[in-house]
Amino acid sequence: MSDEQVQETIRQQVTDNPVILYMKGSPQHPQCGFSMRASQALAACGREFAYVDVLQDESIRQGIKVFGDWPTIPQLYVDSELVGGCDIIMEMYESGELQKLVEKAGSSADS
Amino acid sequence: MTRSELIRQRLEESLSVVDLDLEDQSHLHAGHAGAKAGGGHFRLRVISPDFEGLARIARHRLIYRAIGDAMRADTIHALSIEAFTPSERQ
Repeated sequence: MSDEQVQETIRQQVTDNPVILYMKGSPQHPQCGFSMRASQALAACGREFAYVDVLQDESIRQGIKVFGDWPTIPQLYVDSELVGGCDIIMEMYESGELQKLVEKAGSSADS
Repeated sequence: MTRSELIRQRLEESLSVVDLDLEDQSHLHAGHAGAKAGGGHFRLRVISPDFEGLARIARHRLIYRAIGDAMRADTIHALSIEAFTPSERQ
């Protein structure tokens, strides 16, 4: 895939999935402590979410850093917007903001 | 220059830093897959008036930009960030 195709693939993924986590490994088998914490916090919000295991595709692993203008993984997108990485996800989970954000995700697109 | 010194120097060059606490936690992660490329794990707590009016994501971006090309797998594998303004920490 060319860089442009990678960016287009990612754009499609974040558009199709109101809540999507780019992570190392899967929520069942996370391959990094930061991805593990992020996916656990998201799972605790009680809503289904999509994920992309960046270890399965080096072009996505690099491309998501460009797409989000964010150098690290995990990255959480809600309604196509980058929410943040592990620290921000955890802070928002602890303050209750993440639950609210995830709950209303996708509602604007459906109406 | 150590990696910690590099991170500190770059932050101090781009931000007005009131307080900066940086801990190298690489030893806690030695041997795990992410450490293979040689990058370190760091924990950063920084207080700067530059964060005033910025959401968390924008504060983190400022920090990542300041650190620049050192945010690569062979230098910094992971950086935990807490970013506050002076008034938030009073």
